Amino acid sequence: MPLPWLGQTRWLRFGLYPDFKKAGLELFRTTTFRLTAHFAAAFAFLALFLFAFIYWQTAGVETRRMEYELEHDAAAIALESKSDLSEVVRLAVASRSHRIDYLALFSANGTLISGNLDRLSRDLPADGVAHRIEATSPGEDNLRHDVVLMVCRLLVDGRFLVIGRSLDSVDNLRSVVLHALGLGLAPAVLLALAAGVALSRQALEQVKAVRLTAERIVQGHLSERLPSRGRGDEFDRLADSMNYMLDEIERLLEETKNVTDNIAHDLRTPLTRVRSRLERARQTAQTHAELQEMVDRAIVALDQTLRIITALLRIGQIERGVRRPSFQAVDLQTVVGEIGDLFEPVAEEKEIEFTVRTEKVSLIPGDRDLLSELLANLVENALKFTPCGGRVRLTLETEAGSVAVRVIDNGPGIAPEEREAVLRRFYRSDKSRHIEGCGLGLSLVEAIAKLHAFRLHIGDAQPGCIFSLICMPERSQDS
Amino acid sequence: MAAILAAVSTEAMATEPRPRVLLIEDDLETANEIVGDLGERGYQLVHEANGQEGLIKARQKEFALLIIDRMLPGLDGLSILQTLRNEGIHVPVLVLSALDDVDDRVRGLKAGGDDYLGKPFAFMELAARVEALLRRPLKSRETILRVGPLELDLIERKVRRGERVIELLPREFKLLEYLMRRPGQVVTRVMLLDDVWNYRFLAATNLVDVHIGKLRRKIDGPDELPMIQSVRGAGFLLGPPD
Repeated sequence: MPLPWLGQTRWLRFGLYPDFKKAGLELFRTTTFRLTAHFAAAFAFLALFLFAFIYWQTAGVETRRMEYELEHDAAAIALESKSDLSEVVRLAVASRSHRIDYLALFSANGTLISGNLDRLSRDLPADGVAHRIEATSPGEDNLRHDVVLMVCRLLVDGRFLVIGRSLDSVDNLRSVVLHALGLGLAPAVLLALAAGVALSRQALEQVKAVRLTAERIVQGHLSERLPSRGRGDEFDRLADSMNYMLDEIERLLEETKNVTDNIAHDLRTPLTRVRSRLERARQTAQTHAELQEMVDRAIVALDQTLRIITALLRIGQIERGVRRPSFQAVDLQTVVGEIGDLFEPVAEEKEIEFTVRTEKVSLIPGDRDLLSELLANLVENALKFTPCGGRVRLTLETEAGSVAVRVIDNGPGIAPEEREAVLRRFYRSDKSRHIEGCGLGLSLVEAIAKLHAFRLHIGDAQPGCIFSLICMPERSQDS
Repeated sequence: MAAILAAVSTEAMATEPRPRVLLIEDDLETANEIVGDLGERGYQLVHEANGQEGLIKARQKEFALLIIDRMLPGLDGLSILQTLRNEGIHVPVLVLSALDDVDDRVRGLKAGGDDYLGKPFAFMELAARVEALLRRPLKSRETILRVGPLELDLIERKVRRGERVIELLPREFKLLEYLMRRPGQVVTRVMLLDDVWNYRFLAATNLVDVHIGKLRRKIDGPDELPMIQSVRGAGFLLGPPD
């Protein structure tokens, strides 16, 4: 007694007992366990059905065999000489042949002449065919009631010969089958249940790991990831998908946080400038013209702030895909030509060799205004970063079934590790920090490319940078 | 600068009666600023803060121009616009909106607006748009446009200033044509980008200036009086040399 009591106290003390109980209940609630229980029940039912079928078939065959033997024996005995018959019956009863349990000879009026039956049953027709019938016979201590197979034959001299055989052997068969069923079924069901418990426990452990990780993530540990055991099973795949989702969420959160910080910073800088300019204007301006000059400069700084806000709103708008319904078939050749035309003087001013090469390409489903904005941003970007005397090329061509637009410069290029970062909002590489801009142009480019499902790729032009935009042409309506 | 714009406006006003402009805008501060600014530029402003009242006023057909805000109590700006257009009132309308978005712009123009300006805007921009709307470009059948000594032949695609023949690239020709159809009128950078290049977004700050600079070097020779002037904070203006 003291031991279990101690044990229980210890469990209680560590708070394990309620957990254990809860865990136990939880186990029975798991899907795996329920499935296993169903499977075990189905298995048991099938086994029962199978055994019943075997018994039914075997018993049937056995009974028919016995009927045949009995009818045959009755005929054989009836052929014995008439005088000897009562003696044969007596001897046979005495010798207790294993094939015949009951044997009797009755007179024509139904009185027993010889044998181990007390009376001739009225239910038994004298047709020489085996019938299933309830018989009573004088046993050792009292009358035996028994279901037996019996054959009654009317002999030539008017007497009746009755022989019968107990169906005990068929009953034995049934008990053997039931016994086998008991021996086989119980362990099988137990095994199925045990397997179910084991599998459920394993599954539960995985689920528990997921739950615990999720709880930790909720508590703010965003870098937590679900355990993957490298087996490639459903749980691993689920964990992989969830981890991918978590990566993406973490990245987005990080980006949002950065963007928020950057917005605050990028807006504060020009606003601070405006404030100090206005303050200085108020204190130092001597003439109206001076005041106007200072206010004008403040307005320029405010415009810059407004441009940043507008650009951010536009990126947000494009990313939400608000404009997709306005897609139309766009001829990129025209758009590229227009953008080339628009920027050529800028390149000239900077003494940059600017070439535009286009060819006729398939129509692209898209938003014309956004596409021209995208191209303008790429070209503007290239012109901005290419030093005076450099070269910028804008090309449009068909390439393996898709349409490729490229902006190639021979400027400083973008380092491979920075190529993803430049698409982020407000990202400025160290090289570009001295160049004017709000760090949103390429984010806008990416947002527009994404909206159109174009592939945007930044490569190395050795030296310089290649921005490739791969667009899928519009499929004809009937294809 | 503003002085030039004011001068141009007053000059125009001197010959014509002061144009009446109806402003339907619910934000009182913005409305006051607009009334003040356009008033100084020689327009006669009538302000209405409610959409329903605004529509009633607009129906009186005594205004040369309507400036309608999108978001209004009573009846929204686009509904007013549509109602007026359905009733066959074709007075020029400038739509104002805080929703500075291209889709909105398109919706505003589709509803029958003649121009669209997103808030916040510079008053210079507003003034230029108002003027542009009141003085719609010359749609004369003339094939030769003339401003002072400058002559642009639309058929021959030739430009001359006095006796001097000026060689222009097609894009420069297009730009000059736009300016010559609006002589003495301030055109803003956004208007040029939008109307000349079909470009509807924020552009590099000096993009238009570069184009104008190129054109100016060809139009205004070193010993000639300038015809293309920059209007600080607003845009550019082409007029006969002073």
